[in-house]
Amino acid sequence: MRILWNEMKKILTWKSLLLLLIINCILYFFLIDFYIKHFPNGRPALDSYRIGIEMIEKYGTSMNDEEFQDFRKVYEARVEEADRYLQTEKVAVSEGIDTYAKFNSYDWSSASKEAGELRDRLFFEEGTDLFWELQERNRLIGFYDGKKMYPSDITPAQKQRYEELAKEGIFGTYPEVAIRNFQDYITNVAVAILFSVVAVISPMILEDRTRHVVPLQYTSKKGRNVLKTKLLASFLSTLLVITSLLVIYLSLYSLNDTSVYFNVRINSFIGNESWYNPTFLQYILFTIGGIYLVGIAFGLAAMGFSTIVPNTLTLLGVQIPFVAGFLIFALNRIITFPMNMWFPKWQMPVFYGLLLLSSMFFVWYVNRREKKMDITI
Amino acid sequence: MIVVKDVCKRYGDFTALEDISLEFSNGLYGLLAPNGAGKTTLIKMLATLISPSSGEIQYNGENIVAMDQRYRELLGFLPQQFGFYKNYSPAQYLFYLAALKGISKQQAQVKIDELLAKVALSDVKHKKMKKFSGGMIQRVGIAQALLNDPKILILDEPTAGLDPKERARFRHLLTDLARDRLVIISTHIVSDIESIANEIIMIKNKRLLYKDSVEQICETLRDAVYETTVDFSQLDEFRKRFVLLSEKQEYGKMIVRFIHKGEKEEGWIPVQPQLEDVFLYEYQDEMVEEL
Repeated sequence: MRILWNEMKKILTWKSLLLLLIINCILYFFLIDFYIKHFPNGRPALDSYRIGIEMIEKYGTSMNDEEFQDFRKVYEARVEEADRYLQTEKVAVSEGIDTYAKFNSYDWSSASKEAGELRDRLFFEEGTDLFWELQERNRLIGFYDGKKMYPSDITPAQKQRYEELAKEGIFGTYPEVAIRNFQDYITNVAVAILFSVVAVISPMILEDRTRHVVPLQYTSKKGRNVLKTKLLASFLSTLLVITSLLVIYLSLYSLNDTSVYFNVRINSFIGNESWYNPTFLQYILFTIGGIYLVGIAFGLAAMGFSTIVPNTLTLLGVQIPFVAGFLIFALNRIITFPMNMWFPKWQMPVFYGLLLLSSMFFVWYVNRREKKMDITI
Repeated sequence: MIVVKDVCKRYGDFTALEDISLEFSNGLYGLLAPNGAGKTTLIKMLATLISPSSGEIQYNGENIVAMDQRYRELLGFLPQQFGFYKNYSPAQYLFYLAALKGISKQQAQVKIDELLAKVALSDVKHKKMKKFSGGMIQRVGIAQALLNDPKILILDEPTAGLDPKERARFRHLLTDLARDRLVIISTHIVSDIESIANEIIMIKNKRLLYKDSVEQICETLRDAVYETTVDFSQLDEFRKRFVLLSEKQEYGKMIVRFIHKGEKEEGWIPVQPQLEDVFLYEYQDEMVEEL
């Protein structure tokens, strides 16, 4: 236990914590901050968010046709309100857009100056939510009306899944603003965590070799078994780093106030057809699990490389292609959209399995190699 | 007792050591050879850091690799390059190594104070080692090797970086330690071990050359070491004819110490061979190559 604690202290030094802070500050301000500061991002995203909450509070986490009829009635009532509003506007009357239907079908590309000014005033100056809201309600109704349509160029498995969802009455009904925001947010959080883990874990084992401490460790009573303790210390430090960063980033995420959406199932969000159908909260937890898995896999890989390469530069050089490859080819598939129907169903479990197994095998290999290796430094 | 049995070490096509057989019992052994002769390879094999390509090393009849931690428990080791964490203090670092050596915190506390006093580092026990001189670092290295009160103490170039006063103190320390344990010191500095080693081991051309007492090794050059005075003008010629061991300028002439196995000439004074003479004589080729 004392040895383990000593090894952990060697990883989590002030220097490494400072590095962690710098990496996360940079990545937070460049990648993450936007999804907190600008949520919902403008109009009609704000209206989408509000209408979504209204739908959940009024109809619950799923909607049947009857409930949607009620939603339609609300829309119609709001349209009438817009009609009354437009009829009080002289410009609207003179331009022939005195109802919302006419306002919507008006040719805005060749609009008169007055009409343009009226539209700008309604949308941007007077701060009325009504016209933004109507746009969004109209969009949601549009999606509901086309709920049974699905793309033609899909695989038999995707087609089968669409049919299953339709049979169970699960359609993309609720606005996707909250889940999209989470997907974007957590993807960038995953990038920050991945870089943090690699940066913090990589140097420790290598440093013992470059500082010529290994001969002293390996000739002590503990001997070469110290590598196992180092690997365990690295693993626990990886968990600690991931957990601490997740606590911080998820606390920041809580500022987006999306908890109302937590019980909505992910297939009920527009454009979010998935192979599985957990609730939004379960999906969040799954993604967190995914981040742990990716973090642990890269932590293990960093430990492995750290045992083999001769110096820090090589250590960074070796890991860059792996990290870059993951960000380019796998991040979207296993963190952003792990269950999305646009990727084959087997892909997510296979990716996770391969990632974990290959890094575990790598660590097993370096541990075995170290047991017999001549220490010539 | 440690027995090295027909040990060879090869790295691919390169042979570092060949057919080395040795026996060590309690006492102080000096492993003397020029740099690159294979001292560190042998030392590392004794410390289980390197495995022999063939042959084996036994402690009390048991293979040291198979003994695993039972052997390492008996071992104190100072490598040629003593590694440390520069932001650690000697006390912190010794506590770290004490944990690896399986020494309890309470025992370590007492032992660390005692050892730091022994190597004259008590005043700086809480200072970061990044500010230490080479000699101070080496003294920390010596202290760590003694932490577990080892039965077998192996020191690879332990006097590197020590000043003459520290070397003298170190020699005294080793003499005390060697009374009831096995101490093996690898060095290329003859004076480090000449006066204290029970036996000297010399390796040449990857093979064991000598394993004997200083006196017996010196006997090999009996009646072959001389001193004489030579004119500067004759010095080059003299160097070509004889193996010169040392040259000293005095009153405008050179007093040379040299080896000649044959008839003595007039003006040559026979002198008692020293270990350094044997060292310089045996490794003259390596030294020319090094130059």
